[in-house]
Amino acid sequence: MFEKTLIPVANCEDGKELKRVIITLKDLGMNSVILFHVQEGGLLFGKKGLSWLKCSLKEDLEKEGLEVETLTGNGHTATAIAETALFENVYAVYLKARKKWNVETLFLGSVSRDILRLTDVPTFVHKIRPQIPVDGGAIRHRELVIVYATDLEKASYRPLPYLKEFKGAKCYILHIRKRRADPLSERMWKERVEEELSKLEEELRPDFGEVISEQRVGDPATEVLHTSERINADIIVMGRKEPSFFSAPMGSTAERIVNESAASIFLVP
Amino acid sequence: MNVSGFKQELVFIISSVVILFFILLGVFSPAVLDYLSSGVHSFILDNFSWLYLISAFFFLIFSLGLALSKFGTIKLGRDNEKPQYSFFGWLAMLFAAGMGIGLIFWGVSEPLVHFISPPPFLSAGTPAAADFAMTYSFFHWGVHPWAIYTIVSISIAYFSFRRGMPTLISSCFYPLFGERIYGISGKLVDILAVFATIFGTATSLGLGALQIHSGLSHLYGISSAISVTVGIIIIATALFMASAIIGVEKGIQTLSKINITLAVCLLAFILFLGSIPEILNLFSSTLGSYTNNIIDISLQSYPFQGESWSREWTVFYWAWWISWSPFVGIFIAQISRGRTIREFVLTVLTIPPLFTFFWFSVFGGSALLLERGGAAGLAQVAGEDASLALFVFLEHYPFPALLSVIALFLLMVFFITSADSATVVLSSLTSGGGAFVKVYKKMVWGLFLSAVAIILLLTGGLTSLQIMAVTAAFPFLFVMFLLCYNLYIGLSQEMVFKKPEK
Repeated sequence: MFEKTLIPVANCEDGKELKRVIITLKDLGMNSVILFHVQEGGLLFGKKGLSWLKCSLKEDLEKEGLEVETLTGNGHTATAIAETALFENVYAVYLKARKKWNVETLFLGSVSRDILRLTDVPTFVHKIRPQIPVDGGAIRHRELVIVYATDLEKASYRPLPYLKEFKGAKCYILHIRKRRADPLSERMWKERVEEELSKLEEELRPDFGEVISEQRVGDPATEVLHTSERINADIIVMGRKEPSFFSAPMGSTAERIVNESAASIFLVP
Repeated sequence: MNVSGFKQELVFIISSVVILFFILLGVFSPAVLDYLSSGVHSFILDNFSWLYLISAFFFLIFSLGLALSKFGTIKLGRDNEKPQYSFFGWLAMLFAAGMGIGLIFWGVSEPLVHFISPPPFLSAGTPAAADFAMTYSFFHWGVHPWAIYTIVSISIAYFSFRRGMPTLISSCFYPLFGERIYGISGKLVDILAVFATIFGTATSLGLGALQIHSGLSHLYGISSAISVTVGIIIIATALFMASAIIGVEKGIQTLSKINITLAVCLLAFILFLGSIPEILNLFSSTLGSYTNNIIDISLQSYPFQGESWSREWTVFYWAWWISWSPFVGIFIAQISRGRTIREFVLTVLTIPPLFTFFWFSVFGGSALLLERGGAAGLAQVAGEDASLALFVFLEHYPFPALLSVIALFLLMVFFITSADSATVVLSSLTSGGGAFVKVYKKMVWGLFLSAVAIILLLTGGLTSLQIMAVTAAFPFLFVMFLLCYNLYIGLSQEMVFKKPEK
């Protein structure tokens, strides 16, 4: 899943934290990393470059056994990142939610939002959970609680191969749907969904320590956020759907979850 | 009564207790009732008159959207169901439900009142005021009321006949509330529907009683004291309650048919004895002006030219239609089983409004032509007492006494049939939507309907009736918005079912 990962880096990047992140991703299966910086035209100090990154950090990471490549792009930041991710054949893009006024669950910046919308490769948005070990230790899969949010439609089956890579974790399958228009249809629909979820449970059971499924009625974003907080989830895995007409002014479900969740999100387009 | 019985009767208990409180307040402290209702009414008009305008326009667009979209082919019933009534029988019943007392009351007086008291930016009694009067009469009685009825009718018909749920407004909330429709949330929706129905119908009954009284005073010189109006309501109450309790459905149906025939005869009489070309000219011209300006007038409150006119008329009408919508909506739903949404909406939004336009052209238009032709005093009478205008108008035609008696008969029968149907609908709404209703409930609602109409007439006459219609409709306005949402969800799911399985 993270074998070859693209990490966008900015001028203000904290080298030590970045290193800690990369080492953690290595524990999650990463063996090649592309550090990608987009130069913003028109900035007074924009052409300073990332010499610190090319020298010390690259050497440090290579010592850890990682293949490191540094690339620089220009133009519209999100588009450049999305294009590079595609051309370089990376498995995932990693975005770290920045800590602003000590609130990491605050809204994402417009660049991150655009990346989520534009990129054609899976994107991992790292929020508060899972916490990167300060002492350099690894994140253990079996300690992770993963929420797999699915509407049981085509888009939500795409994350399955990625989901299975969190081997040994606790998997919580969450299906959110609208209530049917009458009690009889509702009961029949509920039974049908239960069948589908049982099949999914069976499929995922060999890869996970524990698999639980639940169906809820309501607004997808609200229910995912509520459940992830209730069970203290670390990562929410979900598919990205084509934006609907109303997602332009209102924000898509994925965007709302990414903005408000304390758990990290693995979004598969 | 055990706990489950109490829960089942919660809608009846709460709504009847609140209405009883209202009646007692009106009897023992009319000043307080007047102060409270006027306060709430002013608050609503000061802050939300725009909402009524936007809502009615939205309901029209939503109804048309349903008819012209992929949802239009969905049947209000099971797929293999056929309509229960013939097309013309269905149309006659639609017209009877939507027309009622109001059209007889306002048919002559509304254009005259607008003509003599137009908004401040128009001079009274001018050709421009006459054009304005006719266009706004069409507007108030045109497609918007029917769009309001459509929302409630389609929701009830869809969730009851296609989804197999009880004939209750709360049933339409299943997509939003789920099993909570059987709890407090659902009960609250039904209670709001009961309040809207009782005050909306009481307004119509009050108007009817006022006009019957005016007609009797005008014809036979009966005292104009309010006690006579109260007496008329009491007599009518005895008649409609007897009909509702005994269940003389056939008799009522026959009376309704006679009424419609008489109404059409009266219309034809006035048309043929008036100036046919002028009336038809007025009809086509006003239809053109109405259709051409429909978007503008739908949302127009003349904020820089004195918005009080729009509040007093358009907002009152929209509120009145909204308060009538649970009652008329349930009735129309019941007679429309087996028709598609497209057939329902396109028929309801064209044929009854066209008939109403014709009614206004014949009665209101003739009255305006008479007034402009020098029959001085007709508009003055309408301005002073709207209920009297019809009878003064009929004096300009041959056999005025006979025509007035026919008009009185029409009013009385409309009064009885409307009140009878409202009693049945109220009883059904407070009995879980069942067809079989206990007699005591019919008695309670029949008495309450008349008592509310009497209290409102005693506390302030026509103004009080209008105030309560606007106030009672306000909460139901929000219910109607949610009905649109629930209906959309239900219909969208039909489309999912129609798609091939994944």
